[in-house]
Formats: sequence, structure tokens, C-alpha cells
Amino acid sequence: MNQFSYLKGKSQEISPWPQIVEFSKVKVQTLKANSFLMHENTEFKFIYVTDGKYYWTIDNQTYTVFPNDVVMIWPNQIFGSLNGSFEIGAFTVLTLDITNCKDNELNLGDWSNICVTEQKLMGNVICQKMKSLIPNFKKFGEILQKMEYEIMANEIGYNAKVNNLIDDIWIQTTRQLSNTENKGRIFPQTFHKLDQLLRENIAHPWTVEEMATIIGLGTTTFTEKFKTFSGFAPLNYLINLRISEAIKLLKNTDQSLTDIALGTGFYSSQHFSTTFKKLTGFTPGLIRKNK
Amino acid sequence: MDCILTIDISTSSVKVCAYDFSGKLVAFRKASLSIFYPNPDYSEQDPEHVYVTVLFVLRDFINEQILPSNYKIETIVFSASMHSVLPVNNKGVPIGNAMIWSDNRAKKEADLIKESEYANQIYQNTGTPIHAMSPLAKIKWIKNNQPERFKKASKFISLKEYIIYQFTNQYVIDYSMASATGFFNIKEKKWEEMSLYISGIDSSYFSDAVSVFNSDLKFKPNIAKALNLPKNTKVLVGSTDGCLATLGSGVFKEGQATISITYSGAVRVAGDKFINDNDQRFFNYILDDDIYISGGPTNNAGVVLEWFSSHFRNHKIIHDFEDVVEGLFKEATLVKSGSDGLLFLPYLLGERAPIWNSNARGSYFGINIKHESKHFLRATIEGVIFEIYSIGKILEDYRKIDQLHLTGKYASLPICASIISDVFGKKVKLSDEVENVNKGAALLGMIDAGVFKNIEEAALSINEKSVFEPNMANNEVYKKLFNIFERLTLKMREEFELIEQLQH
Repeated sequence: MNQFSYLKGKSQEISPWPQIVEFSKVKVQTLKANSFLMHENTEFKFIYVTDGKYYWTIDNQTYTVFPNDVVMIWPNQIFGSLNGSFEIGAFTVLTLDITNCKDNELNLGDWSNICVTEQKLMGNVICQKMKSLIPNFKKFGEILQKMEYEIMANEIGYNAKVNNLIDDIWIQTTRQLSNTENKGRIFPQTFHKLDQLLRENIAHPWTVEEMATIIGLGTTTFTEKFKTFSGFAPLNYLINLRISEAIKLLKNTDQSLTDIALGTGFYSSQHFSTTFKKLTGFTPGLIRKNK
Repeated sequence: MDCILTIDISTSSVKVCAYDFSGKLVAFRKASLSIFYPNPDYSEQDPEHVYVTVLFVLRDFINEQILPSNYKIETIVFSASMHSVLPVNNKGVPIGNAMIWSDNRAKKEADLIKESEYANQIYQNTGTPIHAMSPLAKIKWIKNNQPERFKKASKFISLKEYIIYQFTNQYVIDYSMASATGFFNIKEKKWEEMSLYISGIDSSYFSDAVSVFNSDLKFKPNIAKALNLPKNTKVLVGSTDGCLATLGSGVFKEGQATISITYSGAVRVAGDKFINDNDQRFFNYILDDDIYISGGPTNNAGVVLEWFSSHFRNHKIIHDFEDVVEGLFKEATLVKSGSDGLLFLPYLLGERAPIWNSNARGSYFGINIKHESKHFLRATIEGVIFEIYSIGKILEDYRKIDQLHLTGKYASLPICASIISDVFGKKVKLSDEVENVNKGAALLGMIDAGVFKNIEEAALSINEKSVFEPNMANNEVYKKLFNIFERLTLKMREEFELIEQLQH
């Protein structure tokens, strides 16, 4: 195995891709004291283990990492090994500059071919879960190998090819995360999780695509399963939740109709009142008057 | 054509059905309901969301299925699960969520009442075992633990009463539902003084109790309009899921019993007298004058199969519990009856009948080196059925049972039916009704319309789809295993307590 270490600003090899901060393949053959102390991580880092067994600690939680596992370390997380050094083995590090992963939004930058709305959905899955360990993720290793080849060989089109591979890393990570999260789960269980999320974020302008991504299903399958299980199409179910929440607010608080409307995800108090009357037979005002 | 519309508000879903006056199911629709578990012992439902779900599923059902096929709704009949408690203030506004049947937080209150001098009289008069599920214990819990909420409450109602109140602006409770509260004297059909006394409330905290055939209710005009309901639609207050499932499976006379396996399970018999069990193990609910539905409920039925399936079976495709559990039953046929001596006690959620022990816990017994994953699967299914059998066996002290009628999505699977038949050593009948509870509700509507003279005649109209005869060789094996099942359950009483203390 050839070891290498490309660093942004130092290594010519990765200069065409400013989003790559580090791309290194490391082989540990002897234990070196104090080689891997606990430290604050600065950029978003993926580590893919190819050999050995590691005990790594991220924000006070220690993970046992085996070959084919991927570890994700977020900016500002405290990362290292409690005994201060790397165990014997091998791994690949890929550190990426992502402009922003606040508020569950993933913002990859201009080089990416993934459209902004899809980046947002992916952010929802990756950032919201803040997972540190993705076990048994061989596909990730395959992508890293292709990247290594493209960067070394410089064949025609290598520039675009590497950008595509980095996009693929984000796509596969998102898919893997929603799959592991929902694998072996029966729809009612995943439905329950989504139901909770919808209730907690009732004012959020939800789309079916967004819900489907969270469950880890394609939109068509998701809508069909959702309807069979809940009895309502996803967006109608959301309206049910909004109306029930609004009824509770009308009966139990003195919030204005506009506040209730906006707080439960309607565009305006007018939109709220018409929908409410049409669905329940009463105006919101009447429900309030009888409280 | 005229039809009867039935609404069953069960724990996990609202099911609406339309039947024509010959009793044929002509349309069906279902919507899911969410249950919240804010603490391990708590199970709650949001009354407004339950209401909105019932309202919306009805609207979609009527507009998309009933009106386009030119049916006219003549009567609406209600059914719902038992034992829910919802405090409402003097304006009818819910104070918090409803505690549903599976809510176990009132364990301590139940134990105290059970040990008190009033326990015997309360059980004998109300017919409801004193347990955390009973509204008697739940209301006491609210009083002891949420005094503010208790003070604000002007009524304690069930979710069914809340939905009916939203639709009609009237508080009514049918005799069946009332007889599941622990507050209702089933002999005199009035609120029981002793229960009221120990709870520090009076009968004004409850709705007016009426016959299941009561039809004084009228939908509010705005709601009737929003639902596209004809103005003169008759509304029958109806009954509970337990009573109606029994009626809807054709059980009404001596010699018959119904076994229901859904999320939870029950064995029930119908009779003209209620069962006064010295150990207070059985419930007694009023269906109609001189018709009592008696029996015992188990916590650990379909939920155990679902638990096994989701933790010990890998599902490549995400699908529904029903399919998954059906798959389990098929796989179980790979193992002989009796699981080659592997035995399972299914008390994952504590147990109600017949041991009424909230601390009971599950266990596999007799594991040897040859047992494989499929043995555990079969033993799990058999354990659930042994638990059902343990209820049926004691019921036989009071009633003769010759044949069993099965209801509920799991019991109705043929493989499950044949195991039940072998364990009981009795003939098992499957009716051709899919929705026994809704069918029971429809029968009430048909009796009211004069199609049938009485409950007995209505029950006779249920047709059988298939009959399972017991295999007596298997029955021998099961008898031996069941003997060990009973002994283990009895022996482990102290160990259940000890292990439960480690589970908080």
C-alpha cells in the first residue's frame, strides 16, 4: 500500500480542488506516544479504516472502529484517542471544506453538481443526525480508491471526475445513513419517528420529498406506504396535525389568529381560516368563542 | 340504497365501514392514530388529533366512497376501545391528553384500592377488575398526582364520549363503556356509590349512561354539512370494541367463546349473568339488558409477535406488521408442535388476566444446544397462545366452552387458528367477517331498524368461513408444556418483582 499525504496549500496534487483540505492514506506500523492526543477538530473530516482496530473518542464517547467503517468528525468536536496514540493499522483521511452545516443545511459550494434543494435535504439527514460512526460502508472505500487513482493518473477529465466523486461521497453517505437508520424497521416504526418530527416542527414548510428522504425511501414508494398506513396522503396528514394543533391553541391560549396561523404552518390567517372552516365546519373564531 | 355507517375508534386506528341492510360490508376506510409514551408507564392520545382524524376520515369516506356509489347513510353507530380517561373543564375543553387502556401509571393506586376493605364490594358491583387500566385507578392517580388538573376537571370522559360530544354537543356514555370504568354498578345500571366515595367525586363527573341502542343524539348542523350527512341521519351511541367483537364473531350463548388477538388479546364469553370471580380475575361488561360479556384480557398478544419480528428478524423490504407476522407464522411451521421442548413466558408488558401482575416479565425456558432461531420463533407464538389458554381454562370453571370463535388480525391467520385449536383441544371457527367490531356495530344498527328481533338473532347471522378440528396428539404435547408454563409463572412471582426493580 502506498501511503500519501496531500494537504491544501502544500500539495500541488490537490490544488485543482479547493474544497479538499486533506487527503491522506496512513499506515501505522509502530505505536508512537502522544501521536494522537485529544484535540479540537477544525474542518469536516471523514476517516475510512482499511486495517486494524481503533478506539477513537469523539466528544466523550468512545467508538470501536473496524475495517470498512467510516468515522465522521464535525468541526469543533473533540477528537482523539484516550491513550494518546494510534493503534497499528491503516486508514484514509478525507477532510473537506463545507462552507456551512449550520441549521441542518449542507452548503457544498459552486463546484458541486448537486442542486441546492437536494443539498438541503441531504443536510437534513446528515447534519440532523450528527452521527459519528457509519459501520460497514465499503462503498465509501471504493470511492476513495477511485479518487486516489484520478488524482495520481491525471487522465483527461480528471478534474471533473474528482468533483463528481466528492459529490458521490455526500450522496452515498446520505443514503447509507437513512438506510442504516431505517433498515429492518417496519413502516409503522419509521412512521412514528416522522410523525414526531412533524409535530415538533409543525410550522416548517414541509415537502413530500423532504419527508421521504428522512424515512429513506423514494418519493413514490414513500407516498404509497404513508397513505396505506396513515389513511391520508402525506400533506393531508400534515394538515390534520396543523388543524389539531390550532384547535388546541384556540381553546387554550389567547394567541391571535395570525400567530396561530403562522405558528402552525399556514401562510396567513386568511388561508388558515378558510382551510379551517372547510375542514371542520366551523370558523376558528367560533371555536375560540366557545372555549 | 340505504346503509349503516359504523365508526370504530380503536387504539391504533379509526376504522369506518358501511354495511347494507343485509349486513354486507360495502365500503371500508382506515386512518392511523398516534400513541405517545412520555414515560415508560404512560400511554396517551391527543384528543384533538383523534377528533380531527375521525372527522377527516369520515369526510373522505363519505365523499369519496359512499356518495359516488349512491348509498344513503341511514344510521351511524359508534364503537371504541375501553378504559380511556380524559378530564375536561366546564367548557368541554380537554385538560391535557387522554390516558388510554395501556397506561400503567396508576399501579400503586390500583394496589391500594385492591387491598382496601372496599375492594370486594367494588368488584362485585362494577364487574371490573381493580387494575391500573381501570378509570377508577386512573382518576385516583390524577387526584393524587395532579391536584391542579383534578380541580379544573368538571368531567372525566372517555375518548369516545369526547368525539360524540364534539359531534353532537352532548355528553353520553353507553352501558358497555360505563361498565368498563370501575364506577358503574352493572346490577342497577347506575354510578356506584362506593367507587365515587373513594374517589371523592359524584355522579355529575360522568356522562349520562344510556343503552347501546340510544338514538337521541343529533349531529351539529355545521358538522353534518361539512360531512355531507343527510339531515335526519340516526345516531346510535353504540358500544365498545370488546363487546362488539364478541357479537360480531357470532358469540352469544353458552358453549361459545371468542378469542381475540390483535395488539392485545382477550378471551370472552357472553351470558345472561355476570361472572363473580372470587379472585376478581374477570371483567363483566353490559352489552344489553341481560347480556353480559365476560372474560379476561392479556397485554401480551400481537405486540409480542411484533416485538419478536422487529428485533429478531431482518426485513429486507420495509412493510407492514400484518405481512411480517404472517411470514412469522409460515416460518413457524418448520418446527414441530411444542417447539421441541422450548417454552416461552410472554409477559413483556406485565400481565392482566389471569395473574394480574404488572411486574411479570418474559422468559425462555428449557433452551438446549439443538434449539435454533426458528424454535424461538415457534415458542414465542406458542407462549402467547398458552397465555390465552390460561385465561380460557379458568373461564371454564364458570362457563362450558365447546367451540372457539376467532377475531382480530392475528388470531384469524389459519396457522394461528390451528395452533389455538390444538392447544385448547377444541373446535375453532373463523367467520367470514374481517372487521368483527364494526360488524358488531352494524348488527346493533340492524336490530334497531328491525331487521333482527334481538341480539341472539343478530349473532346467528354471522357465517363461518372455516372450521379447524384439533389434532389431539399435538394437544397431548401442549398439555404437558402448559403444565410447566403454569408452574413457572407461579414459581417466579418473587423473581418477577426482583428483576422488575432492575428495569427502571
